[in-house]
Amino acid sequence: MSSAKSPALNPADLHDALQTALIEVSENAYFVFVEPADNAQFADAVGLVKDTWLKASVAFEGSFAGAVEITLPEPLGQWLVTSLLGMQGDERLGEPQQFDGVGEFANMVCGAWLSRLSDDCLFELRVPAVTRMTAGWTPLVENRARQELVCRMVTINELPMRVLIRSGQQAA
Amino acid sequence: MNQGSAPAAEVKPLNILIVDDSATMRALLHRVVGLADLPIGTIYQAPNGLEALKILETQSVQAVFTDLNMPVMNGMQLLREMAKRDSWKDLLRIVISTDGSKLRREEARELNVNLYVEKPFRPEVVRDVLCQIASAEPC
Repeated sequence: MSSAKSPALNPADLHDALQTALIEVSENAYFVFVEPADNAQFADAVGLVKDTWLKASVAFEGSFAGAVEITLPEPLGQWLVTSLLGMQGDERLGEPQQFDGVGEFANMVCGAWLSRLSDDCLFELRVPAVTRMTAGWTPLVENRARQELVCRMVTINELPMRVLIRSGQQAA
Repeated sequence: MNQGSAPAAEVKPLNILIVDDSATMRALLHRVVGLADLPIGTIYQAPNGLEALKILETQSVQAVFTDLNMPVMNGMQLLREMAKRDSWKDLLRIVISTDGSKLRREEARELNVNLYVEKPFRPEVVRDVLCQIASAEPC
């Protein structure tokens, strides 16, 4: 609504809000625990991944615009969705269900991050877009110069996940 | 079960409509609703507000769980349409959304939303919500 105020885009606040959002979503909805990772730990975890990666993006618009972008290996996406739905770990998901569940994870992180950033702002979130990256792609080979506001690297069950917030309207 | 006392009034099963564009969230809510120790009738599902209205037009529903951010017709638009219809005034309205902002909550309250649950939520929260709204008795 038009009464919305723009939140202060302080890097520390952005980072703290993202960390809180990521932990809340992971632990409260998906029942998984996130471990912070520094560059070296993240690179090591990425190096162990032999599977393809998924990228889930949720664009948002409001007093400022941008996109939350989450990259994770497919097995982690599978694990998140089966955990959310209380399924057995060895149950296989179809691609639509896996993509939908991973997109919802990104949607929750985006919404939780924006809510924690400011209580007095209204944002509209777009429908999540989930894509499978080409074989051999990893977050380490991506050019990250593009309008990056915050980056958070974590591991979940020893599998790597990267969360980026980009400014501007375009999702990846 | 309490033989000799007056028989308890038969509780009418609660028909529920879940509105969310995410099939995963609909599946989750469907499962969580089943956790409530309540007689649940039919659980209808719709991927957006427009499809939800079609179900409300044709089916008997007592409680609507709706997301807000959805394509075609979003949750606020759905709630505005529901508010126009006198025959739906007693419908229980529960918003389940990632948007936890004060402004959005106020907007929802003005549209007669009974409860506003912020995602992420623990399954017990939705179960407890159902118990509260369906009966004055504790579940």
